[in-house]
Amino acid sequence: MKDIYELLNDVDIDDKELEEMKVNDLERARVKKAVKASIHRKKRIWTKGIAAAVIVAGLSTAALGVAFPAYASNIPVIGNIFRFLDIGMGVYQDYKEYSSEINMSQESNGIKFTIKDAIFDGETVSLTYSIDSNRDLGANPIIHGFLDIKDSEGVGGSDKITKVSPNNYVGLLRGTGSHRKGKDTVEFSWNVEGITIQDSKEQIKGNWNFALALKATESKTQLISRQVEHTGVAVNIDKISFTPMSFIVYYDQEVSEKVRSKWGGVDVSLEIKDDLGNVYAGQGNGGSGDSEGYRMQWSTTFEKLDPKATKLMITPHLSLYEYTADNHGSVEITRDGTKEVAIPQKSGKGKEEYTLEDIVIDLKK
Amino acid sequence: MRSNENNYIQRLQRKKEDALEYIIDNYISLIKGTVVKVLSPLANDGIIEECINDIFLTIWNNAKKFSGEGEDFKKWIYAIAKFKAIDYYRKNRRKSDGLSSSDVDVLAERSAEDELIRREDQTELVHLINQLETVDRNIFIMKYFLGLKTEEIARKLGLTRASIDNRIYRGKKRLHSQAMNLNMEGHGL
Repeated sequence: MKDIYELLNDVDIDDKELEEMKVNDLERARVKKAVKASIHRKKRIWTKGIAAAVIVAGLSTAALGVAFPAYASNIPVIGNIFRFLDIGMGVYQDYKEYSSEINMSQESNGIKFTIKDAIFDGETVSLTYSIDSNRDLGANPIIHGFLDIKDSEGVGGSDKITKVSPNNYVGLLRGTGSHRKGKDTVEFSWNVEGITIQDSKEQIKGNWNFALALKATESKTQLISRQVEHTGVAVNIDKISFTPMSFIVYYDQEVSEKVRSKWGGVDVSLEIKDDLGNVYAGQGNGGSGDSEGYRMQWSTTFEKLDPKATKLMITPHLSLYEYTADNHGSVEITRDGTKEVAIPQKSGKGKEEYTLEDIVIDLKK
Repeated sequence: MRSNENNYIQRLQRKKEDALEYIIDNYISLIKGTVVKVLSPLANDGIIEECINDIFLTIWNNAKKFSGEGEDFKKWIYAIAKFKAIDYYRKNRRKSDGLSSSDVDVLAERSAEDELIRREDQTELVHLINQLETVDRNIFIMKYFLGLKTEEIARKLGLTRASIDNRIYRGKKRLHSQAMNLNMEGHGL
């Protein structure tokens, strides 16, 4: 999500609007002094650290208690974690209905992890979990654990966790295995070794190990093989797989030599609408390809297709951007140790964005 | 190394203080012009000064969110200045009731519904605006954060007044239903 300052980049401003006003040296010096003083004041507060952080946490819990009394009584029975964590996105609206209830718990060090529901759509494993702890783990605890998918070369994924009451958390974990064969079932394990409390940097060790096998939800695949190109970047929509609660678009991008020599980063994202005017929210599953990221295969999961839709309009958005210390870092790990790889210097500066031609697909019924 | 016209944005983003001095030196007249235009009806120099300081602090804290080149940077900080000034205007107008606001263009098209949008928590509004399409998103930002009149927005985008009104109406409806959903989920669990 963009915040207001990012959004303001996109607003069209006319030069004629800009109006200047005379400023004398005294005014200028006053502004400098005041602004610098507030920067330094802010720095000092940060280094004071923990006492301030504790107060903030106390306040926010109290505020939550007042604002949402309904939360407090109902927390242990959040039925639909998918939906709970999906506020504002919409991708997981229909997941609960098609997922299997697992309710598998592991307790270690006074902290209990429970896998609530799990679902495999043929591409991505999504599971919801809850944590019941004998102590507060802070606002955003970090869970150290790998989702390991059998027979895959690597796993990409995400973990989202939300505090629902003191000592209670719910989370949504997703993992997509790359280059897997056989999409009807999946075997995976989730081994959690520890939890870090962000505020105090304390780490709690433990053993919470789960192993599961899931059948894929039924799905139907439509081959597409349609390509669009823009400024030396080709986007190919390979296929779409439809499940009862989602659809997954598989696509790849290929970047020409010319663009490669100019830009560090090349990203393609998809915007999807149907002929009824629905806009579908999506969640990227990651992808794989060459180490520079120019020739990549991606997949993105979108929310449930409206059964009345007969066409999908896919609009690829292309962004070319400069690698900077903020958005790019690379390390090479070998037997001799870890070596940082320098950011390649290229002529393209800043960021350029393009919208590619729509690809219109007739849905097979 | 000192900041100059070629490197000041990068240095600002890296939190070099001389870049802050550079932007104050070079853009303070633009910021002051923008702020005074919006806030002069309040007839309070203290608020104007506070707002100008706050704008530079905001630019410093959010410099990394800027994307583009030098000319875009000027427009970006102008947009921030306008947004902040209007925010200050709204907050301080509430404090001083007796003020006549009819001569301020920011408020020219006020309606009960617009007030409702204004009163909403801004972070939530920003969150919801993110879900609109690009054109509608910009219309909403221009109208509710930059205080532009419908005619001005129409002229900028090359659209008719009626179509801007229409888009705002539809956007509001969408924002409204999404805001309701957020509330319902919050309370229903």
